[in-house]
Amino acid sequence: MLIQIDTHGGVPIYRQIIDQVRRQIMTGHLEAGDQLESVQSLASRLKVNPMTISKAYSFLVQEGLAERRRGVGLFVATIARNQSRQTKRELLAEALQEAAALAVQMDIPDAEASDLLAQHLRSFRAQKGGRKQ
Amino acid sequence: MSAQPLVVIRELTKSFMEVRALDQVSLELAPGHIVGLLGPNGSGKSTLLRHIIGLYLPAAGSCCTFGCEAAQLGPSELARIGYVHQEGDLLDYMTTAQHIRYVASYYPHWNRDLERDYCDRFELPLDRKVGNLSPGQRQRLAILLAIGFEPELLLLDEPAAALDPIARQDFLDLLLELIQDTERAIVISSHILTDVEKVIDQVVILDRGRLLRDCGLDDLREEYCRLRLTSLNGPLPDELPFADVYACEREGSQALLTLRRVPAQQLKEISDRLHCQTELLPLTLTELYRLVVGELGNRRALS
Repeated sequence: MLIQIDTHGGVPIYRQIIDQVRRQIMTGHLEAGDQLESVQSLASRLKVNPMTISKAYSFLVQEGLAERRRGVGLFVATIARNQSRQTKRELLAEALQEAAALAVQMDIPDAEASDLLAQHLRSFRAQKGGRKQ
Repeated sequence: MSAQPLVVIRELTKSFMEVRALDQVSLELAPGHIVGLLGPNGSGKSTLLRHIIGLYLPAAGSCCTFGCEAAQLGPSELARIGYVHQEGDLLDYMTTAQHIRYVASYYPHWNRDLERDYCDRFELPLDRKVGNLSPGQRQRLAILLAIGFEPELLLLDEPAAALDPIARQDFLDLLLELIQDTERAIVISSHILTDVEKVIDQVVILDRGRLLRDCGLDDLREEYCRLRLTSLNGPLPDELPFADVYACEREGSQALLTLRRVPAQQLKEISDRLHCQTELLPLTLTELYRLVVGELGNRRALS
C-alpha cells in the first residue's frame, strides 16, 4: 500500500490513512478481497504508533470498506454498487468544489470552466485508454 | 485495546514550602501510548514524573506505578522504568563504554544488540571520558542508559533539549520504533512542541500544578480548527454567525477564524447563507496548546 504521511500539516494521521485507503479502493488500486497490510507492518514502515493504524482500520471497517477475517487480517470488502457510487461522487464533489469556487472568484465564465474540465477529462481518458491497449 | 494502565494517579497534591507544585492531578497512563507532558517551566511536569518513580511521595492523593504505591516501589518495579532527567548526572570519571557496562550489569535483560545499534547510530565516542563529552553526547548516553534494558515505562524529562536538529529527529524516530512494542508507554515532557507533535498521541497539559487537559492528540485536533471564509459575492457581513471564536482576522471578502469545530452540515448551511466558500485548515500543536492554556485562563477570569 502506497501511503504517505505528513506529520507537519496538523491533519490527524489516522484521517490521512483512511482518506488514502478509501481513495485507493475507489480508484481500483485496491480491489475487493485484497488484503490490507498488517497493523504491525504498516506501523513500523510508516514509523507511526500501531494504535493509530488500528484506529484508522476500525473506521474503515465501520464504513464498510474493509472487513476483518478472524486470525487472518483485514481485507477490502465487497462494496454494494450504490454505496461505491455514492462515495465516488462525494470524493469527486470535494475535488471539484475547490475548482468551482476558484472559477467563480476569478470570474471565469461557466462555459469556459466546463470546457477546461472537459479538456482535462479527454486528456486523461486518452492516457487511460492508451495504457490499456 | 483498553489494557491495564501502567500508572494511575488520583488527586495527587504536592507542595514545596508554600508553592503548590501539583494540585489534585488525576491521570492514567496506558500501554501503547506516547504521552506528551506539556506546560511552561514550573508547571509541575518534572514533579509529576518524579512521583511516578517514587523520588517524591504524595502529600495527598496517590500515585501507583505497576499497581504499586510510590512509597512501596522496589527494585523489581524500578527495573521496569527508564528515566532520563534534565540534569542527567553521569559518572564523569568513566569512559562511555565503561559507563554503559557498569549500568548494564544491573540489568539481566540488557539488550546488547540495541546498545550496539544505538552507539553506531548516535555516534557515541566509546573511549572518551564521560566528563569530556559534549552536552549533546551526554544526553545521548543518558538516553541509551534508560532504554538499554527495554523498560515498559520510559519517562523522558526534556530529553531532546541538548540535541541538534538531526539528532532530535533520529531520537524521535527511535521513540516510534520503541512504541512498536505496544506493551510499553513513553512519557516525554518538552516545551519544543514542534518536535513532540510528530510522535505523541496523548496530550497532558499542566499549568501551575493543575491538570488543564488530558486527551488524545487527534481529539484535540478535531476539537478546534481554522476556517477560511471567502465571500463569492461582495464583502462578508460584519457579524459572522459562529460561537466560540478565539481569533479572527478579516480583510474585505475574506476572514480567517480560529474556533471550535463546527459540524459539517451546519457549516454548509452557513456558507450557503453567506454565499461564501469555506476551507477548514488544521492547527498545529503549538496553536492548540495556546488555545487550551488561553481558553481556560479566560474561563477562570470569568467565573
